[in-house]
This record gives sequence, C-alpha cells and structure tokens, in this order.
Amino acid sequence: MRVILAEDSTLLREGLVRLLAEEGHEVLAAVGNAELLLKAVAEDPPDVVVADVRMPPTHTDEGLRAALEIRGRWPGVGVLVLSQYVEKRYATELLTGETEGVGYLLKDRVVQVDEFLDALERVAAGRAAFDPEVVRQLLGRTTHTDLLARLTVRERDVLAEMAQGHTNAAIARRLHISQSAVEKHTNAIFDKLELTGGEGYSRRVLAVLRYLGS
Amino acid sequence: MRVMARRVVRCGAGLILGTAAAAVELLFALLAGVALLPVAAWPRGRRAVLRPVLAGARILAELERGRLRMWLDLRVTPAYEDVRALRYVACHWALGVLGGVVMLTAAIGLAYGTFGVYGWLLLDGIRNPGSLVLGSLGGFFLVFLTVQGIFGVVGLEGQLARHFLGPRHQEELERRIAELSASRAAVVDAVNDERRRIERDLHDGVQQRLVALGMLLGRARRSQDADRRDRLLGQAHDESRRALDELREVAWRIYPTTLDEAGLRAALETVAERASVPVGVEYELAEEPEQAVATVAYFVVCEAVTNAVKHAAPTRISVAVRAEEKRMYVSVRDDGCGGANASGSGLFGLARRVAALDGSLSVDSPPGGPTLVAAELPCG
Repeated sequence: MRVILAEDSTLLREGLVRLLAEEGHEVLAAVGNAELLLKAVAEDPPDVVVADVRMPPTHTDEGLRAALEIRGRWPGVGVLVLSQYVEKRYATELLTGETEGVGYLLKDRVVQVDEFLDALERVAAGRAAFDPEVVRQLLGRTTHTDLLARLTVRERDVLAEMAQGHTNAAIARRLHISQSAVEKHTNAIFDKLELTGGEGYSRRVLAVLRYLGS
Repeated sequence: MRVMARRVVRCGAGLILGTAAAAVELLFALLAGVALLPVAAWPRGRRAVLRPVLAGARILAELERGRLRMWLDLRVTPAYEDVRALRYVACHWALGVLGGVVMLTAAIGLAYGTFGVYGWLLLDGIRNPGSLVLGSLGGFFLVFLTVQGIFGVVGLEGQLARHFLGPRHQEELERRIAELSASRAAVVDAVNDERRRIERDLHDGVQQRLVALGMLLGRARRSQDADRRDRLLGQAHDESRRALDELREVAWRIYPTTLDEAGLRAALETVAERASVPVGVEYELAEEPEQAVATVAYFVVCEAVTNAVKHAAPTRISVAVRAEEKRMYVSVRDDGCGGANASGSGLFGLARRVAALDGSLSVDSPPGGPTLVAAELPCG
C-alpha cells in the first residue's frame, strides 16, 4: 500500500514509518501537521492516510479536520484517524457522509501491531475499521438502549465485532463460531434494530455505527 | 540619636509648612463658606459654585498630601472624593495652627535654653547666675516637651488625613474582598492551567514513549529474522528506560517530594543540579518557611529557571532567597538575552499563585537582558 502519515510526535512517526516499511508498504510522506498533510495528499494521493487527531498548532482537532477534508476531496483515499482517547463527536463526524474507507483507532492500538496493520488494510480497501473501545462506548452511550435490549448476549458480541468493521468470516474466526451462525446473528440484529442492511459490506458497518452514534 | 534628631527637624519643618498652609486653608474655607451660603437654597446655583470650590479643595488636599508624604512620612491613598477633600481642608487649618503654636513654643524654649550663650549681648552683666541656670533648664525642658508635641501633632495629622482622605473602613473591606475574590479566581485558573499542562506532559511525553515501546515490541514479535529481533528488543529496552525517566520528570514537575522531605533549600539545590546551565543558590533563611510559602517560592524559582534555560540562553543563573521582617524575598537573575513576557502563561500563572498569598511578583527583562524575576511573599 501507499501510505501518508501525519503525526506530530517524532518518536511515533519514526516508529510507524519503520513498521510500515518492514511490512513492505510504501510511505510517501511522513509529516507533523495538518497543513503539510493536505499538501502531501494533493501532490500524490495515497491509498490510505493515517492522521493523529491532535496536531499543532492548537492541539485540538486539526488532524480530524484534515481527514474530513481529504474524504471530501479525494474519495478514493482511505482515512485512518488515531485519537488519544475516545471522542464520540469525532467518531460521529467521521461517520457522516457517504464515503467509505474510514477508520478511527485509539492511538494505543498501534501497540497491537497486527490489529493496526489489519485496520489499515481494511481502510485502504474502502472498508471500515473502528476501535473496539470506540464501539464499546458507542454501545454504552447510544440512545437506542430500548432496541439494543432486544439483542441476545451473542448477538451483542457479533454487533460489536461488526461495528469494528470485521467481515463475517473474520467475526466467525474471532468468536469461534461458524460463518453461517454469524450470518444468522447479523440478520437477527438487523431485524431487531430495524436497520436496512445488506447492501455492500462497509455500508452495513457504517449503518450500524451511525445507528449507535445517533 | 542622629536619626531621631533628623526626624524631629524634618517633622518640625513640616509643621511650619503646615502652619503656612493653614493660613491659606483658613482663608479658602472662609471664602468657600461665604460663596456657598447664598446658594445653599438653590440646587442649580449651588452646583455651579461647588465645582470651583471642590476643585480648589482638591488642589489644597493634594498639596497637603505631598507635605505629609515628604516631611512627615505619612502616606495617604489618593482615592478620595472632592467633598471629603473640602471637609478635610475646612478642618485642617485648626491643626495647622496647633502645629504653629508647638513650633513657636519650641522656639521660646530654645531661646531660654541657650540664653547663657548670647545673654551677655543683651544684658550689661549677669547679676543672678542661679536664675539664669534655672531658666536654661526650664527652656530645655520646654524643648523636650515640644518635641513630644511635634510627634503628637504628627500623629493627629495622620489621623485627620486618614479620617477624611483615607479609605473608609467599609471601602477597605470591600476592596479587600474584591482583591480576595480576584486572587481566588486566579488561583483556580492557575490550578486548571497546571492540570492541562500535566495532562499534556503525560500524553505527549510518557504515553508517546510507551506507545513507541509497544510498537518496538510488536515489531520484534513479528520479525522473522533473529538478528533484527534482538536489535528491536535492545531498542525497546532503551525506550522503556527513557519512558521511566520521562515519568519521573513529569512526577517531579507535578510536585517535588523533596520539598516535604528535605525542605526548600534541598528542593532548590535539586533544581540547580537538574538545570543544564550553572545555577548558584544563595539561601539565607534561618528557619524553614511554612509549607504554602515554601511551595510557591519553589515554583517561582523552578519556573523562572526553566524559562531562562528555555528562552534566554544564559551562561549563569543566580537564585537568592532571604527573609526580612516577616517577608521573604526570592529572586532569580540570569544573564541571558532578556525580553521575557510577564503575561506569558508560565509567568502569569506564577504571578497568580504569588498573589494568592498576598505577595507580589515582578519581572524585569529588557531586550538584551539581564532578566530578574523577583517575588516578595509574606511569611511568619
């Protein structure tokens, strides 16, 4: 994959560059602020952008603003946002609009190298990747508790996995159940939550996330 | 004794000036009274007459304030209304006259006391030396009494000025309450600023290091090549040490435990040791200050030293801590390039912390240096 990184901590930026190089990915640019990120993407659009939410000068949400702009201007570029902690506002902002290929991970998730690389690939492929912690909080804070209460424990597990952006095959593997069982659960979930799912993979995830975030 | 004599002479001169002023004040008070009498019944006319009268009263009161400050060492705040100035002028002339009487008595006493020196000029011969000696003694005793009288009048001057021109008790209380509310709000702000800074320190320092460490370990685990894995593990090991150092730094910045365990001197010496520039500490306190004062003094030094090292590129920093009459003076001087901004967040936060203890902080930093950060704190 061709990647552009935006992270203000030199330490992490260097670490990520090395990690991606070791995995055989091509890092087109590694920058320290949102302005340079947009410039780099405009020069040579990558497959995926990894951006820290908090960057100079104000250390608030420059990275997220840049990510949203990239999604608007270059729909083909996947955007994976790294955040210091779960901000429901950021997650829901990323989920607005129809574009796919978005991800929202906690920065610490980078430590789980396998998960991080997996999320990066999913986003680059136009799918979704949401941090389990983000999903957990969305599940906990959603206004649709009455509808969520209808789900069985197993269905909730499947929903949480699905919201993170995993495919049915991956969910089956992660929960140690058969793929047909996962399909059965997902259909039940869509019925109970009154969601019209099914059209394309990522869209299904985004529908779930948007539902949880609203 | 010399100081005392000088003070008596100065106060005496002040009283003589006061007597001269009293003549003007009496005249002014009479004229003002005459001018105000006919318009007492008509409010509109009264206002027109009052304006110049009040302006005059203020000028006289200001002159008096100058005299009290210069000659009698009495300081009165200038924040008084014109009406009170008029009342003051209307009453003060009497005190001026009293001062004049005292000084006249002093002159008489001096004349009698020193009669033996010049008496032979006036008299053909001294027939009665006994009465002359008695007269001299009486004169000197009169001088002694008038010295007490001078101080008495000075005391009265102070009371009168404070009564008419100084802040009233109620105002004093209100001013103090306003001051306290402001400094309390400032402390809350300063604490919040510090919390923000601590959060930043943890996130941008310690957490980044830990994430980098985790990444190194993750890469090592994924690595197929044994050599590379060893190298990555070595790097991770170093990184873990750096993360610990960083954590210690942050903890130290939040609160230096040395301050509680070993006192202010030890904490300041630690600051000096940790700085990358030579820091000299002159510590002249006989006893350990109370904790609140020690903590603020410590942070003043810590922040000023950190700022100097960060922005001014000094070759030397000198820290001095001394106490005098229940006040503690902390100063940090550096020979760097100056131009420090006193309203910058760090120094501003310090000023608020110092103000919370009723102290004051001054920053003197001309472009080109040197910079002096000085705090004065009440203690004991």
